[in-house]
Amino acid sequence: MPADAWVLPIGGYSSSGVVNRRAQGSNTPDPLDRGDMAGYTTGRIDDTTLVREAQRGNRTAFEELVRYYDQPVLRLAMHLTGSQTDAQDVYQEAFLKAYKSIGNFRFECSFYTWIYRIVTNICLDHIRKRNVRKEDAPVATDQSGDEFDLLSQVPDGRATANPERDLMARELGSRINRALEKLTPRERMVFELKHYQGLKLRTVGEILHTTEETAKNTLFRATQKLRGALADMR
Amino acid sequence: MKCEWVHENIVLFVYNELADDARFELEQHLARCPECTAELKAVRKFHVALSSLPVEEPSPNLVAAARMRLQEALETAEQGGVWQRLTFDPWTWLRQMRFSPALAAVLLIVGFAGGIGATYSIFGNRGPVAVDTNSSAPSQASITGIRSVIQEPGSDKVTIKFDTTRTEDVEGSINDQRIQQLLLFAARNNYNSGVRMDSVDLLTQTPNDAHVREALIYALRYDSNPGVRLKALEGLSGYVKSDTRVRDAILEALMNDSNSGVRTQALQLLRPVTADSSVRNVLTQLSQNDKNQYIRSQARNMLAQLPEID
Repeated sequence: MPADAWVLPIGGYSSSGVVNRRAQGSNTPDPLDRGDMAGYTTGRIDDTTLVREAQRGNRTAFEELVRYYDQPVLRLAMHLTGSQTDAQDVYQEAFLKAYKSIGNFRFECSFYTWIYRIVTNICLDHIRKRNVRKEDAPVATDQSGDEFDLLSQVPDGRATANPERDLMARELGSRINRALEKLTPRERMVFELKHYQGLKLRTVGEILHTTEETAKNTLFRATQKLRGALADMR
Repeated sequence: MKCEWVHENIVLFVYNELADDARFELEQHLARCPECTAELKAVRKFHVALSSLPVEEPSPNLVAAARMRLQEALETAEQGGVWQRLTFDPWTWLRQMRFSPALAAVLLIVGFAGGIGATYSIFGNRGPVAVDTNSSAPSQASITGIRSVIQEPGSDKVTIKFDTTRTEDVEGSINDQRIQQLLLFAARNNYNSGVRMDSVDLLTQTPNDAHVREALIYALRYDSNPGVRLKALEGLSGYVKSDTRVRDAILEALMNDSNSGVRTQALQLLRPVTADSSVRNVLTQLSQNDKNQYIRSQARNMLAQLPEID
């Protein structure tokens, strides 16, 4: 933690208190190579200061952190669960858990990695529970359940002028979803974080408490399985 | 470079996750291997195909709804930090110590002071609890034994009776009561026969006292040292006539003492009272049966000197 972080003005987060995180030389690694994380701009208070304040019980500081990270969290949860309702539940559970246990955050990793760790754990539980439900169901092979078909969640307004192409895209999306569901929860998570969320494998390893090398191997296995399941798409 | 290695790493190449040197090698290989180039083309096509499953950005309405719901929950949520602040966390403590050398120094000083204070309070409290305040301070004497430990019912007060040994000097006249008591004690109880001898010798100077006479009789009867017994006899000599208890004690010594010197001395002391029937009986017995020839002849002489009683 940079020493000057202690002297940052906190109250009210006014424009005078806004600090350029990169200009400070914070050791918090850049979380994404997508570069499109909500709130990840050069003009905001650094995470370390906000986390310190949140650890002292400052709820406003915590809500500020939520605003920086909640959109990528929602995006990940929506894509993994295929449901806005489930995504909202994941969001709620993850940030509440983070709020309650932020006192345990030791700055051994970035807050971004830490919150993603919580989110991915909740999502992994969600995927496992869903897999168990499907195994228990007598008609497990029935893939017509709209609950897991993400494309069915796409708003109508996004429909293109070409209905035939739109239908093909929906069918393709359904097939990909079914292939993804055949991966192990961990393979699914690595593939999701790498391919769809665009994270570096080093970051994926940190989030999933594993090494970059293991994340690479898991990504290779997941890709091989998906290529096998979607062979005719190649 | 083998094609197998390329096939294993081509996915990482597509995701731009290969290290620079591996990436360079792979590109070199692709330039001369049409099979691996075809594989790369297939992987890229697959990569694009997977993107048919879009990643939707959450709508502003969804984000707003999620934030509102969370905000409501946060208002009633308790931070775990409350308990963490109440409980001792060594890691946090050490981290704070690292940044606060002054606090560390203060804690050390307080720790030392507390330790010393606690020591004083512990030992300070033990004294009055363990020791009867009426007795002298036990710290100046070594305790030789505990006689009794009694706790008062319904309180934390304990009474302990114990023996201590302590060397003291007492000076005073031989007629001083305290000196007399010590001499009497020494004559009866001291393990050192030399001390007993000195005590008895001193007591013989004041045999008028009943307690002193008792002590001398006791020494004559029970002292293991013949010198002490002789000293006692010497002290009692003036009372053979007047005190029958003294006479009986001397007769007893004459009959049973293991030391012939003591017996001879006892025999001499009884000369003034040979008329006493008990003395005469003893002398008769001694003159006939005593193993000691001198005692037998002396007893016979003493009996011969007695006037005939018909």
